[in-house]
Amino acid sequence: MEDVSTSPTEPPVGPPTGPSEAGQVAVLDRPEVDTPWVTLVWNDPVNLMSYVTWVFQTHFGYSRAKAEELMLKVHHEGRAVVSTGTREKMEADTEAMHAYGLWATFQKDE
Amino acid sequence: MATEFRRKGQRVVATMEPEELEVVVQLLTLTRDFVAPERDESGDPFLDLVAGMGGSADPSEPEDPALRRLLPPASRTDPEQAAEFRRLTEHTLRQRKAATLSTAIEALTAADPPKVDLDLDQARALSVGLTDVRLVLGERLGLRTDEDSDRLHERLERALAGEEEVDPGLFQQMAYYDFLTWLQESVTLALLR
Repeated sequence: MEDVSTSPTEPPVGPPTGPSEAGQVAVLDRPEVDTPWVTLVWNDPVNLMSYVTWVFQTHFGYSRAKAEELMLKVHHEGRAVVSTGTREKMEADTEAMHAYGLWATFQKDE
Repeated sequence: MATEFRRKGQRVVATMEPEELEVVVQLLTLTRDFVAPERDESGDPFLDLVAGMGGSADPSEPEDPALRRLLPPASRTDPEQAAEFRRLTEHTLRQRKAATLSTAIEALTAADPPKVDLDLDQARALSVGLTDVRLVLGERLGLRTDEDSDRLHERLERALAGEEEVDPGLFQQMAYYDFLTWLQESVTLALLR
């Protein structure tokens, strides 16, 4: 199942940044600021479909329909991106998912 | 026999036999003792917070696979990122899990069986707490795939029907797991809106 509508709201595209930009002073350059990070949730044999749906609704405030769509993506594809944003926010989401017993990881958006 | 949880306004209500309640409380308590932080708390929230920030937490993965599943690595490809995240979050995560399990234990201990009458926070804590119990039991039962979980239920049915011989200890673990799955599904459906 490949469905683009499952990807979370994307942040606006920021100005191009990066260490290679001409004339930039490297010290204060924070190239990662505008690079989106993602939180992934992985399928496991224990967590119930109802529970995973409830967690996505409760933690992210997603609608029942969106939460179920993400849950099914995890179930069928083995993983799904459940949130997108700053690294700090993804770390917080990952920690919250672990508190709920879901296996989450975070990484730079590919 | 227990009856499933139902939503009644701001309450989530079920019936359970005293023996069933006892087993659930026992399993929740074992899981809390298993996951609770190893370092003693001072009792002062500020001192505990500072202690948690000291970087003294062990960034290595737990050796017990069940504990590793409760406190999983936050990256599958970058061990450094996973270790750093573990160092920063594992202690609070353990505290959080232990506190949630305690809320569920207290709520069920206070129940007057067969009636189990929970407020929404208690029902949420029970749903989340049962996840951790089932993750530990599932690991001990060797569940690795969705098919493993399906097979467990079928195997239990065959054992109950006398069609398959199962080691008594294993049978009990399977029966607990199956009962908790039913219970968690029931309380979670009562919370879903």
